[in-house]
Amino acid sequence: MSETIRTLSLIMVCAPLLGSILAGLFSKILGRKGSHRATIGLMLVSLGCAIAIWILVIFHGGSYVGTIYVWGLSGRYHFDIGFMIDNLTAWLMIVVTFVSTLVHIYSIGYMADDDGYTRFFCYMSLFTFAMLMLITANNFLQLYFGWEGVGLVSYLLIGFWYQKETAVFGSLKAFLVNRVGDFGFIIGIAAVLTYFNTIDYQTVFANAQRLFDANTTISVFPGTHWSVLTVICITLFIGAMGKSAQMPLHVWLPESMEGPTPISALIHAATMVTAGIFMLARMSPLFELSQTALTLVLVIGATGALFTGMVGVVQHDIKRVIAYSTLSQLGYMTAACGASAFAAGIFHLMTHACFKALLFLAAGSVITAMHHEQDLRKMGGLYKYMPITYITFLVGALALSAIPPFAGFYSKDAIIEAVHNSTIPGHTYSYYCVLFGSFVTALYIFRAFFLAFHGKERIPADTKKHLRESPWVMWVPLIALAIPSTVIGALLAYPLLYKANSLFGNSIFVLPKYDVLKGMAANYHGWFSYALHAFITWPFWFAVSGIFTAWFCCWYMPNIREVITRRIAWFYYILVKKYGFDDFNQIVFAHGGRRLGQFFYYVTDAKFIDDYLVNGSGRAIQWGARMVRRIQSGYLYHYAFAMIIGLLVFLGWLEITDTHIGLFKLLTSNYFTVE
Amino acid sequence: MTINMILEQIVFYAAAVTIVFAGIMVIGSRNPVRGALFLVLAFVASAILWILLEAEFLALALIFVYVGAVMTLFLFVVMMLDINLEPMKTRFVRYLPLGLLVMALVLVLVIFAVAPQHFGTAKYAVPQHASASYSNVKELGSVLYTTYMYPFELASVLLLVAIIAAISLALPSSRKRRLQRPGEQVQVKREDRLRMVKMQAEKKILPSRKWLKKR
Amino acid sequence: MISLSSYLILGAVLFGLSIAGIVLNRRNIITLLMCVELMLLAVNTNFIAFAHYLNDIAGEVFVFFILTVAAAETAIGLAIIVLVYRNRNTIDVAALDSLKG
Repeated sequence: MSETIRTLSLIMVCAPLLGSILAGLFSKILGRKGSHRATIGLMLVSLGCAIAIWILVIFHGGSYVGTIYVWGLSGRYHFDIGFMIDNLTAWLMIVVTFVSTLVHIYSIGYMADDDGYTRFFCYMSLFTFAMLMLITANNFLQLYFGWEGVGLVSYLLIGFWYQKETAVFGSLKAFLVNRVGDFGFIIGIAAVLTYFNTIDYQTVFANAQRLFDANTTISVFPGTHWSVLTVICITLFIGAMGKSAQMPLHVWLPESMEGPTPISALIHAATMVTAGIFMLARMSPLFELSQTALTLVLVIGATGALFTGMVGVVQHDIKRVIAYSTLSQLGYMTAACGASAFAAGIFHLMTHACFKALLFLAAGSVITAMHHEQDLRKMGGLYKYMPITYITFLVGALALSAIPPFAGFYSKDAIIEAVHNSTIPGHTYSYYCVLFGSFVTALYIFRAFFLAFHGKERIPADTKKHLRESPWVMWVPLIALAIPSTVIGALLAYPLLYKANSLFGNSIFVLPKYDVLKGMAANYHGWFSYALHAFITWPFWFAVSGIFTAWFCCWYMPNIREVITRRIAWFYYILVKKYGFDDFNQIVFAHGGRRLGQFFYYVTDAKFIDDYLVNGSGRAIQWGARMVRRIQSGYLYHYAFAMIIGLLVFLGWLEITDTHIGLFKLLTSNYFTVE
Repeated sequence: MTINMILEQIVFYAAAVTIVFAGIMVIGSRNPVRGALFLVLAFVASAILWILLEAEFLALALIFVYVGAVMTLFLFVVMMLDINLEPMKTRFVRYLPLGLLVMALVLVLVIFAVAPQHFGTAKYAVPQHASASYSNVKELGSVLYTTYMYPFELASVLLLVAIIAAISLALPSSRKRRLQRPGEQVQVKREDRLRMVKMQAEKKILPSRKWLKKR
Repeated sequence: MISLSSYLILGAVLFGLSIAGIVLNRRNIITLLMCVELMLLAVNTNFIAFAHYLNDIAGEVFVFFILTVAAAETAIGLAIIVLVYRNRNTIDVAALDSLKG
């Protein structure tokens, strides 16, 4: 069976790459239709393989771990390309290929008028390939390859409309901020290679306990002794912070909305940004051994979950609202991993992939219908014109707000409960963050919902004439995503989270003392009773109050928003300024970097190197030549005098060095006594 | 100490004092003719010293060659050239400190090197006087024509070259000498170099067709 | 009893005087040439003194050659001086700076 899985995995990974090559290099031959047919066909092949693998792994207990190809050998280290197909990977590959296929199809409609049509399909397939490489990796190097691959495609796609200045800026920002995270990530991998002597997952995980028992320490800064495992985990988590947009490296994700909307759905909501969460789950054998790292993960995740969500409340761009929502949900997932509920994190990843892709695609549908108008203030009352988009957006919003029985409820409630039950330091703070976050989540998404689909129509007249439902290539994916957004929570909550032998198998490792999900499993009695139980829990009422607030402020009494903003102007200002992260980065890193560069340019390079060293050496030679030329006076007696000076020097040197004559004797003894 | 020795010492010191005095006068005299004559005096006194050192042949050669030939040449040249002697004194005084400093340095350094405890009679005993039958010329000749044959031949060639070189240098050549006369050059006038000619403008002369055909 | 060092010191004094002469004399190439002759005389005296005290005739042979070379040098030197005078109308050392770089 493992041979079958191996072959299927190879086909699954390589099919998108082939599609990308076809669309990228042979677009002239294939044309627009040929390009999207080729990429979508190969994506369907990939999806089919993923489903086949999923069936084999989940239902038949199959797995494959092995090396396909030795990429490089260096001394005792070998760098392989290989697959590790287990339950975690199986679930993830379903999500990736499913969403990717739908987004491919959706893009036919969304990108229909774009000049870069084939380029877009090429990038998307390339992204799918990189993402699949990332999740199927059996070693850190391949993980890093996929990690950088998705980063690259993300950069290319954010800057897809490269003539738009904001898009270029956003892509550059995403690239640079990710560089910070990736720097930490590569340091983590280097530390793994140093202390485990290998980058193979299985060997590393098998030896982690031994390293923990040995209590090996590392001195990162002179005088400090930190546990190696903690350092490795934290540096790897810095990588996850970059890729999964955790505070304070989250600043790039809102900017990434400059890219086309399908991309926002695929890369910046469903798959790539969750790579960090996947990595945390994959590294659970390491993270479980370091309480410090878990605390950091928990606190950073919970902080992001609340505070980035609050920024979403004041945004006017529909995509930005959803982007901040993504930040907030990523915070939830990270917090889940920090609370050792890795399964809940991954589960939320999956449900989030469905409903957030749905939200983005629905928003994209709205945006195309509005002729690329993204400002919520120019929408309103759209439900009449686009009923399918309206319904699907509502489903997505309900799922996001964790209203039972939608998918988001099961995953998010599990996370909040897991954080509540956690014993890791910082869990109280984190609990209140994620709890209040559920209010904020409902508030911002329903604010966007009511502003866009209900209330007074604020649509410009000329747009209104063309306003109609999007073509079927766009609403079919919406429905295809709305269905799982509704049901997978109820279907999968028990087998994934609470079953004694969960469908994640042994791919996630949790120490018994941290295992919060096990305690929660006792209170779980089927999906329906769990949904009913929600009515007596805080998160539900927080979410409902969020929806109510949104309804009140945005539909029922729209004018009250002005009053509220005026009343708490300082708080509103803070939110609009996004806590000053962007300004801080702009001032400290961008301007500071430029200052530093200017300093190095003007002082070090221009002044020191160019002026003193380069021109200076020339000037010194010139000066020396001028001096020497002055000696060359042309007068015989000067030359004769120079000869005499030379003679004197030689004579003096001879007499000083010669011990027999010894000029120094003169000082020490009575020289002139004749023997 | 025998009378010979005392006599020897008297001769040595007298000659030494003469040489030093003549040397001072050579560098100090304003008139090169007097300088040349004092140089002759220095040579003669040196010849006396050399005889004291039993180098009779070289002493005589010094007198014949230098006093007789070279110094005569000097005097010829000095007298032949019309030398302005005026501004010498000021420069002499100006450079006197520097000259004395350099001289003192050289003297100190050299005298340390050749001080009595290195080259005194204790280290290098005074050799026995040669017998009456000793011939310096024979002695010198016997090595000059055997061991130093090639250098000797080379020296003769060198002298030949020197003779030819000196003659060819000093001989007024048949070509007109290229001598600059700046004083005359700056005083030149346009009329000296340029002549204005009046002539009628003429028709341009083309080569005839016939001539062209021939080509 | 005249020691070797007496001769050497005499030579040194003569050498020093001629160096001082070269430094002092800025007027006249002929005097410069005479100082060189004086210098050679000092060297020759040293050679002969060594030859005598070390009882080695080679020193005298050297003096023989030096005299030859010195005579040649003087002849050519004077010829050059005549030539210089003929061309520049002066033998002032301070006026001869064509070698200036």
